[in-house]
Amino acid sequence: MTRPRIEVSDLVVRYGDATAVDGIGFDIAPGELVTLLGPSGCGKTTTLRAVAGLETPSSGSIRLNDETVYSAPERRNVPTEKRGVSMVFQSYAIWPHMTVFENVAYGLRVRKLPQAEVRQNVQRVLDLVQMQDFSERPASKLSGGQQQRVAVARAIAFSPNVLLFDEPLSNLDAKLRAEMRVELRELQRRLDITSLYVTHDQEEALAISDRVIVMNGGKIEQIGTPEEIYNRPRSRFVADFVGSANLIQGEVRGPSSSNDTLIFEAEGGMRLEVVASSASRDGQNTVALRPSYIHLGHAAGSRNAVAGRIHRRMFHGDFIQYVVDWPAGQLIVRRPPTELFDEGSEVTISFEPVHCVLL
Amino acid sequence: MIVRGLSLRQIVMPLVVLLCGTLVLYPIGFLINESLNVGDPSVFPPEEYGLDNYWNLIDDYHILANTALVACIATVLAVLFGFLQAWILTRTNIPGRQRLERLMELPYYMTPLIGALAWGVLLGPKTGLVNQVWRSLGLPGDLFNIYSPYGIAWVMALFEGTVAFVMISAAMKSMDPSLEESSRVLGAGKLRTALRITLPLVAPGVLSATIFVFAEMLGSFAAAFVLGIPGRFYVVTTAIWQATLSFPPDYGRAAAMGLSLFGVMLITLTLARLVLRHGSYATITGKAFRPREMDVGRMRWPLLGIAWGYIIVAVILPLAALLLTSFEKFATVILPQMKFTLANYETALQMGSVGPAFVNSLTLGISVATVGVPVIGVLAWIIYRSRMPGRGAAEYVIMFPQAVPRLVFGLGLLWAWINLPIPIYGTLWLLGLAYFTVFLPLGLRTIASVVLQVDPSLEECARVCGAPWIYQMRTVTLPLLRPGMVAAWLLIFIASVRELGVSIFLMGPNSKVIAPAIVNSWLSSSSELSAAMALIQTATVFAAVALMFSLARRVTGVTQ
Amino acid sequence: MRRRPFAALSAILVALLGAVAAVACDNPRQMDGFKTCADVAKAEQEGALVVYSTDPEAAAEAELAKFHAVFPKIRMNYLRIQAGGLYAKLLAERQGNVYLADIAQLSDVSFALDFQKRGGYMQYVSPEMAAHKTEYKSSPEGYWTWGALVVAAIAYNPTLVSADEAPRTWRDAMDPKWTDTISVKVSISGLQHVTWYVLRQLYGNDFWSKLAPLKPHAFDSYVQQFDRLVSGQDKVALTAQYSGYLAMKAKGAPVVFVYPPDGVVAAPQPWGIVKEAPHPEAARLFMDWFLSVPGQSGNVRELFTYSPRPDVPPPPGGASVTEFKLLIPNDWQAFERTHAQFVREWDKITGLR
Repeated sequence: MTRPRIEVSDLVVRYGDATAVDGIGFDIAPGELVTLLGPSGCGKTTTLRAVAGLETPSSGSIRLNDETVYSAPERRNVPTEKRGVSMVFQSYAIWPHMTVFENVAYGLRVRKLPQAEVRQNVQRVLDLVQMQDFSERPASKLSGGQQQRVAVARAIAFSPNVLLFDEPLSNLDAKLRAEMRVELRELQRRLDITSLYVTHDQEEALAISDRVIVMNGGKIEQIGTPEEIYNRPRSRFVADFVGSANLIQGEVRGPSSSNDTLIFEAEGGMRLEVVASSASRDGQNTVALRPSYIHLGHAAGSRNAVAGRIHRRMFHGDFIQYVVDWPAGQLIVRRPPTELFDEGSEVTISFEPVHCVLL
Repeated sequence: MIVRGLSLRQIVMPLVVLLCGTLVLYPIGFLINESLNVGDPSVFPPEEYGLDNYWNLIDDYHILANTALVACIATVLAVLFGFLQAWILTRTNIPGRQRLERLMELPYYMTPLIGALAWGVLLGPKTGLVNQVWRSLGLPGDLFNIYSPYGIAWVMALFEGTVAFVMISAAMKSMDPSLEESSRVLGAGKLRTALRITLPLVAPGVLSATIFVFAEMLGSFAAAFVLGIPGRFYVVTTAIWQATLSFPPDYGRAAAMGLSLFGVMLITLTLARLVLRHGSYATITGKAFRPREMDVGRMRWPLLGIAWGYIIVAVILPLAALLLTSFEKFATVILPQMKFTLANYETALQMGSVGPAFVNSLTLGISVATVGVPVIGVLAWIIYRSRMPGRGAAEYVIMFPQAVPRLVFGLGLLWAWINLPIPIYGTLWLLGLAYFTVFLPLGLRTIASVVLQVDPSLEECARVCGAPWIYQMRTVTLPLLRPGMVAAWLLIFIASVRELGVSIFLMGPNSKVIAPAIVNSWLSSSSELSAAMALIQTATVFAAVALMFSLARRVTGVTQ
Repeated sequence: MRRRPFAALSAILVALLGAVAAVACDNPRQMDGFKTCADVAKAEQEGALVVYSTDPEAAAEAELAKFHAVFPKIRMNYLRIQAGGLYAKLLAERQGNVYLADIAQLSDVSFALDFQKRGGYMQYVSPEMAAHKTEYKSSPEGYWTWGALVVAAIAYNPTLVSADEAPRTWRDAMDPKWTDTISVKVSISGLQHVTWYVLRQLYGNDFWSKLAPLKPHAFDSYVQQFDRLVSGQDKVALTAQYSGYLAMKAKGAPVVFVYPPDGVVAAPQPWGIVKEAPHPEAARLFMDWFLSVPGQSGNVRELFTYSPRPDVPPPPGGASVTEFKLLIPNDWQAFERTHAQFVREWDKITGLR
């Protein structure tokens, strides 16, 4: 098995009295794109910057490419410029006083490569990001999207084997964001660069990552593939933060007749079949149910079926969102635009146990 | 295996800070030493130490009261001028605003010294030009007697008004216009919006400008010198001047007074900075605000008149008065008695102190600015961008000279450097060193504002790309700071050329400079000769500044 | 036994040396119009001369230019400082072992005496000093010499003051009608010190108390005084220098000089060479020239002062000095002792304290 490219263990970062990162650890294999996902203030950017060497942790260790770049017990802290990582900044950090070519060539020139090689590399990466015609343009005259591409080109120009992304798409508008995320993923796959990506946009995280690390309050809530995170959230926080979830309160009553599910009695007396995402423990009293996994109308053979009434309908273009009244309160349901129900009409709500995750 | 030794950065940074800190603190140490000297003043080091000099300050309370009086009146006037001009030039739509803004820099190139000389000609009691016109209109007495505390305050305010203008207009320009627009949308009229929205929002900026101007007024010398002494009106700076000139020179009293003034100014300036930090008005967010101008309709012409009025009163009128005087045989403003000649210019240009003084001043201006700006650039980076321990204290110390009245600092510099075995006294090197020390705050302030505007990720990115510290500074940081550094160069150049307080003590026979030469000439020559010298100086400074500006434009590629 | 003749011989030698020291050199060289004991070639090699004085710059430089015309290889450098400041600067420089000045003119004889006591002057007996009276030189000779005689009394502006109301005596100047329109010199002025001293001797110690309520304006330089007199800001100038009057009259300005019957004040300008002068030979050469007839005549013409030498004509437009009744202190040591008291009193009168 190949050694992981990035290894973080027991990382703690404190600022005065506040603890931004509270003892986290993870490994990233070569060629993986792993995303640190969480709300602002959760410590994801701090972690990324610590890996880059722009922040000094309080304790723990960080290894890059099998070399210790930070270790509290060994009192070792390699400065940023010697770590050999590359980074795309949230503000792009394009130097306005240089041309596009000079921006991209910077890392190559620092490494004192001969002029011909520099030119060749710059050309290559500008082609990759489709900015080949902009080589001589002054960097101050680029649009946001163009700056972003140049930032990426600059980051990969000297062929690093670790690439860090600090919310690179958050300053773009929604449409551009959607386009760029696909391009970035393509690029990362093609070059097979190990990447650590930070974002607060859960859609983005799910779309492009090999694995996602959900963080909250300086700690890791869950690590897993996008599907795992989405379908089997381990905590309320993850369920709520990644995608949207209906949270149903109640109590576990015991295993059901078919041994793969549990009986969950919700408020209002309904009995539902649910699954547990991990070994069940005491005190679990919430079930998460994703809106898109709920059917309205007749669905034959569903193991959970409850009567309800449409309270509100909102057309979102790609889907319709319904607020449905049911015995345990209200449910948010998402249906394709073809499934039209009037407000006030009675419907049958049905969903599979595998989509009811006990938290 | 990384060797945990000292990087270049770890050596250079503390060294620069240490050097600058020493330059500032060393003379102040001497001042403190001398203020405690109660023995023979001409003996060094002092024989006896005691607090008598400070106790005796109580006897001089009338001087302290005078100082406070003049400073207060001058501050009120200066802030009024500055606020009015700032509001008219940034928030209204009178024509020719841009040109007026440029012209507002002019009073800064003239010194209060020249202004005071000129206003003596204009508003001297009984025979000032304006007073003569007043009398010829049949009106009783004088319109105004310039040889009074109000006269001093007036002249000081005219010149310091530009500083207030710059600070307040910066605050006004950085205001988010949507704050006012929402008020108008909700139905509030122009006046109400101005009073309830605009005013409170710029209040922190105005307050900080007021405190800063007050501190400067406390330490000002030239106007009180020309207009106060004839009227027997002394403030702390002129009293210090007198104390050092008497024999035996009362250095202890001078030092004690100077340090007390320093103490007051330090407190005042610290207050100003606190106010600025707490004032939460969104300034540098990266978004460039275009403040929305108010259409003032018919009020346009009176406001234009006021705006031009300031320029005329502060610049054109004094220069005209000096011009008239410089061509007279003997300075009288009793019109029928005037006789004209070119002899004054001939004499002025031949005088030994004029030619060399000009060359020296220009040389010093260029050298101090050229050496000072890169050093201050590094200092600014250390203080505002690095994580070096003690950088907060470093900032505080470097800003000290701003709180010490130039005259007082000059005294400290004199003792500090005359006693060193380095043969620097009496040479231009000493003046250069002194200028560098007293202009550190000015340069730091200017460059700091640019440093703070630079996104730190621009530098971090360079590091991530592998650039070591010096490479990063050279290729990324310093080029980005260039506009600020050019601005700082110009400011330091101009300040050096017009410097008086420090130069007047440190000048020697081989190191004469312009402003003290004019003072000397005013003291011992006729006023028409001084007028000629003052005009030659002003013309030279204007020419030099214009030249530097056009060069600067070429360097930065920016039209200012 | 052998010691006694040796001792006697040494004593005679010392006496002889002492006598020699008080006499100019053996072979003074005759230059054009003056004699010098200085080594001219060495002076020219030194190439420069630095003069610290209180005289108005333009006039002083014109005088120095005359010396430069005779010795073009010696560059002149003039620094004008107010009297107290000048002495303070000199002492501060000495204390720091920095020596920049060659020649010093100290304005107040008190300063000259003080400097002599501190050993600040170089003793150089110029052959030209023989022409000066003993009272006009330091004792012993060669430390400082009177380079000019400054005469002062009262002046007024005739366009503002009619001949009837004009002051005629010193006491007239103390009339309350001159309140706020009368000027004097500051306490660091040597001339003012002399004026204060001699008039006290003449009229009693409380003479000057009458001046305080007039709120006189005090100035550092006579040029300022006359400037204001002529421009009409003041009506009367007290301790008004005759040289200022003559200079203004030459320009055609309205000013009248009053010769009080009790006498006019005469104050000396002490000139001397600084001991550790950086250009000692040039300094000696200058002293010889300055104290000679051509040097003194030039000084008189440029600065409108009188020369202590009787063989030098009066300033242009001025009366012969013999026509004045001169009031000069007779005991300079006593005069020096009153300096601190004068400063205190005068500062109160002029509102500084």
